[in-house]
Amino acid sequence: MKSGKKLVLILLVIGILLFSGCAGEQPKEAPKETPKPAETPKPAETPKPTPTPEKVYVIGVTDKVTDMDTANAYDFFTWEVMNNVMGGLYRYKPGTTELEPYLAESYEVQENGKVYIFHLRKDLKFADGTPCTAQDVVRSIKRVMEIAGDPSWLVTDFVEDVTAVDDYTVKFTLTKPIAYFLSLTATPPYFPVHPNYKPNEIDSDQTAGGVGPYKITKWVRDQELILEANPYFFGEKPKTPKIIIRFYQDATTLRLAIEKGEIDIAWRTLTPVDIESLKANKNLNVKEVPGAFIRYLVLNGNESTEYPTKDVNVRRGIAAAIDRNDLNQRVFLGTMEPLYSLVPKGMWSYKAVFQEYGDGNIELAKEYLAQAGYNENNKLKLELWWTPTHYGDTEKDLAQVVKEQLEATGVIEVELKSAEWSTYVDYARKSAMMASFFGWYPDYIDPDDYTTPFLKSGANSWLGYPYSNAEMDELLEKAAIASTQDERTKYYEQIQDKLKEDAPIIPLLQGKLTIVTKKDVKGVVLDPTMLFRYYLLE
Amino acid sequence: MTSLKAYIVTRALLVIPTVLILLTLVFFILRILPGDPIASMVGQKVPPEVLEKLREEAGLNKPLIVQYFDYLYNILHGNFGRSMIWGKRPVTAEIMDRFPATLELTIFGFVISVILGIITGSVAAFRRGSKIDASMRIYSILAYSLFIPWFGMVLQMIFGVYLKILPIGGRISPGTEPERITSLYVVDSLLTLNTSALSSALMHLFLPALTLGIVLSGAYTRLVRNNLIDVLSQDYITAYRSRGVKDRKIAIHAMKNAFIPVITLMGLQFAILLAGAVLTETTFSWPGMGTFLLERIQYRDYNSVQGAIVFYALFVALISLIVDVIYALIDPRIRY
Repeated sequence: MKSGKKLVLILLVIGILLFSGCAGEQPKEAPKETPKPAETPKPAETPKPTPTPEKVYVIGVTDKVTDMDTANAYDFFTWEVMNNVMGGLYRYKPGTTELEPYLAESYEVQENGKVYIFHLRKDLKFADGTPCTAQDVVRSIKRVMEIAGDPSWLVTDFVEDVTAVDDYTVKFTLTKPIAYFLSLTATPPYFPVHPNYKPNEIDSDQTAGGVGPYKITKWVRDQELILEANPYFFGEKPKTPKIIIRFYQDATTLRLAIEKGEIDIAWRTLTPVDIESLKANKNLNVKEVPGAFIRYLVLNGNESTEYPTKDVNVRRGIAAAIDRNDLNQRVFLGTMEPLYSLVPKGMWSYKAVFQEYGDGNIELAKEYLAQAGYNENNKLKLELWWTPTHYGDTEKDLAQVVKEQLEATGVIEVELKSAEWSTYVDYARKSAMMASFFGWYPDYIDPDDYTTPFLKSGANSWLGYPYSNAEMDELLEKAAIASTQDERTKYYEQIQDKLKEDAPIIPLLQGKLTIVTKKDVKGVVLDPTMLFRYYLLE
Repeated sequence: MTSLKAYIVTRALLVIPTVLILLTLVFFILRILPGDPIASMVGQKVPPEVLEKLREEAGLNKPLIVQYFDYLYNILHGNFGRSMIWGKRPVTAEIMDRFPATLELTIFGFVISVILGIITGSVAAFRRGSKIDASMRIYSILAYSLFIPWFGMVLQMIFGVYLKILPIGGRISPGTEPERITSLYVVDSLLTLNTSALSSALMHLFLPALTLGIVLSGAYTRLVRNNLIDVLSQDYITAYRSRGVKDRKIAIHAMKNAFIPVITLMGLQFAILLAGAVLTETTFSWPGMGTFLLERIQYRDYNSVQGAIVFYALFVALISLIVDVIYALIDPRIRY
């Protein structure tokens, strides 16, 4: 009897606690202090303003913040957060792919493009008020070079030395002239970080940040990240002083969370099915813009293998048989865009070279395959690889639809094969896959990042395909050092023509960015840099 | 009690070879699989020479046997190493971030499953052959065959999206996390008397724990029912009844005897739950060990997987030991 009473008592207490806390489920309006009743103001004092509720937006994502150290972080979402709590000498102007001065006021180029000198703003401060000078920029970049973490090559491949000329002048000596160096300075490995970062080792949990519109006030891994306006930021103050990022394990839960109103913004990454369904929800806005993420099919032309794909006519035939619009509609429900070059649409120098092959052009495909010796009686046997653990749930459908498209020619027989991501990249490097799907997120927004890693001799070994062409190498080199954009455009167009001709890689689709917000959320600015600037939200 | 003490010591010592065998198996199996953590994280992007350098720094270019003994040496010195992907954080820090979440979910899910199982099983046994018995048996089959992601989503839709009374996922509302003492949010918020954290933590726990509890209760329902029916047909129960002992008293005696196999199942279930709550964790965005291990295996994060396995092995050994001790306390016939 006694124990029964105790149980009832415990249940009662839990019930009361539950009930009492129900209202505080989501701290939408942060400070809960109610304004005290107005007292008669004393003549000498100015009346205190009525406290306005702090504006907070909750953003839901299925990505994760992996590492808050610029010397080691190398994934897109972490870089996005870094772009909100730190900054580089230059940055992409929101809504465009144009670069504009950020922590630097100006720059000058010397020694035929081998030396870059940046003049810093004089009002730079970290989030705790510590001044940020040229020495901090140099310390941070040298730290990246010394730690040699995952993204360090973005510095070490291009920068020979970096020095502080004085408190507000930074001098970079490059390994060779690099036309796109400014875009590199907009990447996190070039961001100055707070002196609290450990000098010679990775400091993954460090939240001191750099010079940016927000500072991190709380970070519970895989649960929440809270950002608040940096009071010492030199630029315009964020319109939303507090941002909460909630981390979800899968797209379905993220979708349910925006439907329930648990979050204000559902960001990366919802599935095409969820996006389509949310478009019908009257309480939500769905915004789509072209992204710089691309998908492509690698056809292994390694001469040391027995793969039929080493025949250029086989590769051209496959390029002609693929129907990008059909892929986009059937697999991605129209949430991607057909892509006809490795350089994404919307970026300067883009040339839709693969359009010449057409989409689902069966006759042309058969013609090329016939030249390679394949016909209805002697079918091309193609092993098509895909991975279930890296590009989301749609990957299996992508492989299946491409299989159907290729088999529609009547001269190709496709065998689908899959391997989980770790195995997949290992197979790629070992040149063990005949045809395989891959995707690419840019490191810096420049055509060089969409061509050199794929097409330059040696740089493309990760594809397991030693595509090597002296003419291509020369064009890539010239394009990287040419001093004007017009000149560079000319080279990149030639590079894309050559890409179409050799067809070692077949561009398939370009990602669109999709963001779902509540109706009252304003100030969402997205562009091909794929960086969501939280400080523009209002 | 001396024999029990000796038993505990023997069992504790047996943990050492168990963990060693397990660790060796995991160490070599992980490395036999194609791919490595460095390639799976950055393999697509970095130049080959940088990739080699990163592999060298991680010690992956050493002969396998050297890597193995290096690892054993470090383990013996209490060093579980650093994760080989993303933040390269210490493995112990990674486990300590994730394990409390799983433990909290496991405890609540486990308690719900046991309570539901015992209630439904006992009701079925005491009303044997009735409609109630039939419906409890149907409940048991249905509960056991429920697919967690589907069932979880149904609960999310009902309580989260339509009724809007419970959160969809996560462990606690942003900004309400209690001061960390044990990292079990319910316990920490009770210790710090933080009522808003307690209510938020309980509300976030409710759906995942209920999902897990209902699905697992099916097995208890059947087991409790069958054992109770068996015990209730024993001679001593008939003797009790013939002497006019009250039904409630009979039930208590019967249940105590019917409980031994149930406790075995409880011990096993708890261990499985710890590692196997991955579907519930994914459905409810619960940042626990299940999703952590799955993710780390996919990326071949050798150190994290090995560390987590050792940790699990030790924990499961501890649970088994506790179950054995409870046996002895419940059933005086059992001696060690």
